[in-house]
Amino acid sequence: MGLDDDVTHRLLVTNRLHQGTSMNSYLLGLLAGLAVGVTIAVIIKWRDRRRPMTTVERADQLSQRRARMLPALAVVFLTQQAMFFSQMPGAEHAPVERVKMSAWLVLSLVLLAALATKSFWLEPRAVRDLMEDENTQANRNEAMRWGFLFAMGTAVAVYVLGMFEPVTGREAVHIIMTFGIATALLRWGVLERRAHAHG
Amino acid sequence: MAERLSNRLKDRRGELGWTQAELAERVGVSRKTVNTVENGVFVPSTVLALKLAAVLERPVEELFWVEA
Repeated sequence: MGLDDDVTHRLLVTNRLHQGTSMNSYLLGLLAGLAVGVTIAVIIKWRDRRRPMTTVERADQLSQRRARMLPALAVVFLTQQAMFFSQMPGAEHAPVERVKMSAWLVLSLVLLAALATKSFWLEPRAVRDLMEDENTQANRNEAMRWGFLFAMGTAVAVYVLGMFEPVTGREAVHIIMTFGIATALLRWGVLERRAHAHG
Repeated sequence: MAERLSNRLKDRRGELGWTQAELAERVGVSRKTVNTVENGVFVPSTVLALKLAAVLERPVEELFWVEA
């Protein structure tokens, strides 16, 4: 084994060790985030159970909560994209990057499900039905329309960008989904907040 | 010029002494929907307009009208 081979081998070993540490830290962060999320959900659930409410009151409360949550979710979703674009070129197959990509994909699918369904899956059916009345449906349809138009606009922009700068398929999908979902979330949040504001 | 759907839901609800939540419960919609219809932010479907008229015991054309 020559000197160059020996140095290359040592660098590879160091790199693997570094990746292992990064993944452990990232998984730890992910688990801590999940634990905080679950704790908040349990506290909210416990606090809500202490106050008996009619179906309309409960639907109203959750609807207002959703209106507040939607823009915040959009911001969290957008800021998460910084991680994707900050990754080192060629590092996309590193274990830590796979975990990051999976986390992004899971969050995207959860947000899409929240946009496309009645969401609040743990609530009674009567409450969920009331939260999905025609005003909410109209707001959701409008938000989906905006999301679709922004996704298409972004696709055109990525297509044009591809003429000047190489864009991988994964990057293109990532950018288009991000803008489509974030726009729909923001628009729905704005419409819901406006609907609640005229009290 | 854009036409606008006006209503006197709030007046009629007041006559009956109901809150928005009570009216919403009787019609089977959320308080937000009653709120947005009352304020002219949301134009209800024919089905919802008829339901509101039935619950408020008034003809639909007495509760809703188009303003040019």
